[in-house]
Amino acid sequence: MRFVDEFRDGALGRRVAAQILGVVEPGRHYKVMEVCGGHTHSIYRYGVDDLLPESVELVHGPGCPVCVIPMGRVDDGIAIAREPGVVFTCFGDMLRVPGSSGTLLDAKAEGADIRMVYSPLDALRIARSEPEKEVVFFAIGFETTAPSTALTLMRARAEGVRNFSCMCNHVTIVPPLRALLDSPDLRLDGFIGPGHVSTVVGARPFEFIPDDYGRPVVIAGFEPLDILQAIHMILAQLAEGRCTVENQYTRVVPYEGNSAALRAMAEVFALRPHFEWRGLGFISQSALRLGDAYADLDAERRFAVPGVRVADPKACQCGEVLKGVIKPWECKVFGTACTPEHAIGTCMVSPEGACAAYYNYGRLARERVRA
Amino acid sequence: MSGCDPYEHCITCGDVGVEMRVVRVDDELAVCEALDGDVRTVEIALVDGVGEGDRLLVHADVALVRL
Repeated sequence: MRFVDEFRDGALGRRVAAQILGVVEPGRHYKVMEVCGGHTHSIYRYGVDDLLPESVELVHGPGCPVCVIPMGRVDDGIAIAREPGVVFTCFGDMLRVPGSSGTLLDAKAEGADIRMVYSPLDALRIARSEPEKEVVFFAIGFETTAPSTALTLMRARAEGVRNFSCMCNHVTIVPPLRALLDSPDLRLDGFIGPGHVSTVVGARPFEFIPDDYGRPVVIAGFEPLDILQAIHMILAQLAEGRCTVENQYTRVVPYEGNSAALRAMAEVFALRPHFEWRGLGFISQSALRLGDAYADLDAERRFAVPGVRVADPKACQCGEVLKGVIKPWECKVFGTACTPEHAIGTCMVSPEGACAAYYNYGRLARERVRA
Repeated sequence: MSGCDPYEHCITCGDVGVEMRVVRVDDELAVCEALDGDVRTVEIALVDGVGEGDRLLVHADVALVRL
């Protein structure tokens, strides 16, 4: 397939791997964080890490919105879904995220009308076709997904669809990165920046990382050669003593992002003062709520929700995995009590979660190329 | 194109953008076809001047950029 096969070429991949080996400083250990869950998935699906020298360690970042949803928000969603006459809609992976007393899938099995949708626009279509129901969309995702929710709410407003509302859990990418950079647990050498988030926000929001923290960022695509090339670009910056934001994914990402998408988000959403991230705790101004102009479409105002903070299960070490402090297989319950079929932690629920990626693709052999 | 196969991407977590070709434009909506033949109605309000035959990066039924 054109524009895909070229980026999965094994011979080219080995050439880039050799170039990586050429810029690695002997005796130095590098920690590079891939911010985005899509990168984590590709790295283990295609065995990208197997081509890297053992001195280059990939740390899996918090860029999987399902993985960072705290249990209390799932409980709030289930409470709304159990209201009479409600059709509760969400993306498929959210259905399996455990709350304190089960998942949305469990609530569906117990009779709640919970439906999987591919987009918020699908949820709006349900609202149009079933006007006697109250249709709620459980919105999750970073800035890639938030414009879709914003346009849907603008369309609902324009069409006067009154039986539609949104429980907003959208999060933003920069605050957790700053929190990670401020964390004493973690020393990172560089970041593989998120590809499709950057189509919306552009590259500029990441400039604080080189400017304030002295770490390079390379925005990358999701094919194995994209990721390998981005790693090479990061290590080359370090070798040359440079530190900047570079864009490996120029075939898709404009440096300035999409101003129309940012305007739509600004019209519909407002920043929450703080939001709880699973494993990372409360982070200031890291999530979106519906702005006052769209308050009538806010499910959290339309329905009563418990709003109770719930601690993660003690056995679960998702927080340490999300911060890159431990590897997934170092968690006490990885692959035993916690599997994709019976997930305890959110990192095992989503295929983009680091634990599920390790589990599904069996990348447990740690034989690596020696620098 | 389903986002929910456990061995495939979750569309939000995977930050998944799908390349689609515009088949027909109808105001702020366009009928688009993915490389795998999947056909969806896509919001094109965020990309200027979309026309038939254009290639778009689409996420959750919204076009984010022209390719």
